[in-house]
Amino acid sequence: MSQMNGASALVASLEAAGVDVMFGIPGGAILPAYDPIFSSSIRHILVRHEQGAGHAATGYAQVTGRVGVCIATSGPGATNLVTPLADAAMDSVPVVAITGQVPSVAIGTDAFQEADIRGITMPFAKHNYLITDPADIPRAIAEAFHIASTGRPGPVLVDIAKDALQKMTDFKYPTSVSLKGYQPKGAPDAQAVIDAADLIAQSSKPVFYVGGGAIKANANRELLELAQLLGAPVVTTLMARGAFPDSHPLNLGMPGMHGTVSAVTALQKADLLITLGARFDDRVTGKLSTFAVNAKVIHADVDPAEIGKNRFADVAVLGDLRLTIAALIPVLKAALAKTRPDLTAWLHQMNSLKAAYPLGYDMPEDGSLSPQYVIERLGKISGPETIFAAGVGQHQMWASQFVSFENPRTWLNSGGLGTMGYAVPAAMGAKVGAPDTTVWAIDGDGCFQMTNQELVTCALNNIPIKVAIINNESLGMVRQWQTLFYEGRYSNTNLDSKRVPNFPMLAEAMGCVGLSCDRPEDVDATIEKAMSINDQPVVVDFRVNRDAMVWPMVAAGTSNDNIMIARETAPDWDSQEL
Amino acid sequence: MAQHTLEVIVENSPGVLARVAGLFSRRAYNIERLSVGPTSNPETSKMEIVVNLDGHALEQVIAQLDKLINVLSIKEILPHSAVPTVHDTQPDYQN
Ligand SMILES: Cc1ncc(C[n+]2csc(CCOP(=O)(O)OP(=O)(O)O)c2C)c(N)n1
Ligand SMILES: [Mg+2]
Repeated sequence: MSQMNGASALVASLEAAGVDVMFGIPGGAILPAYDPIFSSSIRHILVRHEQGAGHAATGYAQVTGRVGVCIATSGPGATNLVTPLADAAMDSVPVVAITGQVPSVAIGTDAFQEADIRGITMPFAKHNYLITDPADIPRAIAEAFHIASTGRPGPVLVDIAKDALQKMTDFKYPTSVSLKGYQPKGAPDAQAVIDAADLIAQSSKPVFYVGGGAIKANANRELLELAQLLGAPVVTTLMARGAFPDSHPLNLGMPGMHGTVSAVTALQKADLLITLGARFDDRVTGKLSTFAVNAKVIHADVDPAEIGKNRFADVAVLGDLRLTIAALIPVLKAALAKTRPDLTAWLHQMNSLKAAYPLGYDMPEDGSLSPQYVIERLGKISGPETIFAAGVGQHQMWASQFVSFENPRTWLNSGGLGTMGYAVPAAMGAKVGAPDTTVWAIDGDGCFQMTNQELVTCALNNIPIKVAIINNESLGMVRQWQTLFYEGRYSNTNLDSKRVPNFPMLAEAMGCVGLSCDRPEDVDATIEKAMSINDQPVVVDFRVNRDAMVWPMVAAGTSNDNIMIARETAPDWDSQEL
Repeated sequence: MAQHTLEVIVENSPGVLARVAGLFSRRAYNIERLSVGPTSNPETSKMEIVVNLDGHALEQVIAQLDKLINVLSIKEILPHSAVPTVHDTQPDYQN
C-alpha cells in the first residue's frame, strides 16, 4: 500500500487493469489525472473530438477483444462521449470511459462544466459510477473492467469528482472482484444442452442464426465444428460477419433488411432456428409476427434478458457461447448417432436459392463508377486478413454484402445504433490495436464529414489507416428511401460533395495522402497505390454513381416474405420448390 | 391483467432508485406503486414494486431488473400465469 493522490491512484489502477492505450482529451475537471498520465507507461492518444475517443476505444476493443478505454473532462467532454457509449452498448462492446466531474462540493449547483453524466448514461451504460472519495477509485476501476468485459460486454463509465483526484489516499488495487448483484453465467446447464441437441436431432430444416455474440465469445472455431457436424445452413447477421467464413459452402450470408434472398428465406422457412448470440433485432426479423412462423427456437445467449424478449424460445441455453457450443458438440454427436435427420432436400432448396439469387449489381450504363464494384475490388485486393470499418448507410450495407469476410474481428460497424461517423475513429482504434494489419475505413461522404478530424490524430500519431470514401454526393440511404417511399422528393439529402469539400485536398491538409478515382478502369490501380503507402494515412475519394441502390430489401415494418431483389421485383418463388 | 408485487433487494448505493425507476420508464412499463424501506442489513434496501403486467412482459421486467448491478435479488410475491407462446412486443417499425 502506498500514499498517492486520487489521480495517481487512477492511473496506477488503469495500469494494473492492463491498459496499454487510451484515447482522450484533457480539460479542467480531469486535469489532475493528466499529470500522472504524462509519466505513465500507458500510451495516451490525444484525439480531436471526444466522440472520436469513444469510437476509437470501440474499434480497439472490437479487434483485440480487450477493453477499450477513453477519457474526457466534465460537461461537454463527457456529453461528447454519449454517442459512442450508446453505440458500444447497442453492439455489446467492452469499453471503459473515465470522466472528470466538478468538485464534489459543487455537484448539483450548475457549476461550470457540470453535467450529470452518470444520470445521462444510466439508460444505456452497463453500469456507471460517480466517485467522490479517492479511496474508492481502485475498486471502481477494477469493477468497471470486470463488468465491461464479462458476460454480455458493454460500456461502463467512471465519473470522478476533481477533488477525489486531488486528495491523498492509500493505493491498493483489488486482487479480485466479486459483485453480489452481477454473476454472469459461464458454462451452460447440462439439461439445456441436452434439450437443444434433442430438438436439433428432430429437425429437418434447421438453420444456424449467428449473431455478434459469436464473435464476442470467440466462438468461431467451435461454431465451424458445430455447423459442419450438423451440415445445416448458416446465416451471419450484420454484427456476426466473419464469425463463419463467407467462403464456406454452408454460409448463406447475411439475413435481414438487406440480406441475401437465401439467408432471409432460410430463416423464414426453417423448422428450427439455432440462435447463437443473436437477439431477434427488427432489422433481422422484419414484421415480427410474420417472422419464421413455423420454426421452433433454440436461443443460446449469455444475457438472460434476451431470451424471450422478442421471440419465444422453446429451448433457452444460458451461458458463455463458446462454452455452450463446445458442450453442445459431443451431446449432439451422440444424438445424431441415434437419429440423423435427412437435410438433403432442405440444403438443396437453400443452395438453389443461393445460386438463383446471388448478390449482384449493374455497372452504370454511362460509364460512371459503381459503388458496389469499388467495394468488391477493395475486398478482393486487400484480402481476407484486412480489417474493415464502415460508416452507416448504403456503403455500409454494400461493404457487408460485397466484402468476403473470412475471419472474426475483421468487420467493424455500428449495427445497433447506426451511428454515422463511426468509421474513421473506429478504424483508428482498430489500427492501434492491430498495427501490423491493413485497416480500411469504408465511409460515406456524409459520414466522413462527421468525424474526419481524427485523421489529424492518425497523421500525427503514426496510425496509417486507409479511408475509401464512397462519394455518391448524397445521404444515399435516406435518398434511397425517398426514391422508394417518397416519390423521389429528395428533401435535404443532396450533399454536393463532388463539389465541396475537395476530399483529397482536405485529406492533404490533415497530413494524409489524398487520392481520387472516378473511372472503373482506374479502381484497381488506385487501390494498389493506397495499399503501397504505409507511412501515412490515405484517403481515396471514390466518386461513384449516385443512383445505385441497396438490394435485396425488406421494407421496414413489412414481412420478410416480401423481400424484393430490385425495385418492384420479387424473387420468382414459383420456380423454387419451398 | 393481474397486479403483481415484486420484492427487490438493492444495494444502498446512490442512484439506485433512479436506476430502477429509469428502467421502468425506458422500457415503457408502468409502476402502479413503489415503496422503499430499510432492511436489517444497513447496506441494502427493500423495494416493493407493484406492476400491472402479466406473463411475458412480467418476465422481461424481472430479467431486465436483474441485470442492474445494484439489484441483489428479486422475489415475486404473487404467482403469475403461464407464458403465452406468441410474443409480438415490438412495434412494427416504420423508420
Ligand atoms: C448520426 C446520424 N445522423 C443521421 C442518421 C440517419 N442516416 C442514416 S444513413 C444516412 C446517410 C448516410 O450518408 P453517407 O454517409 O453519405 O452514406 P451513403 O448512404 O450515401 O452510403 C443518414 C443521414 C444516422 N444514421 N446517424
Ligand atoms: Mg453518401
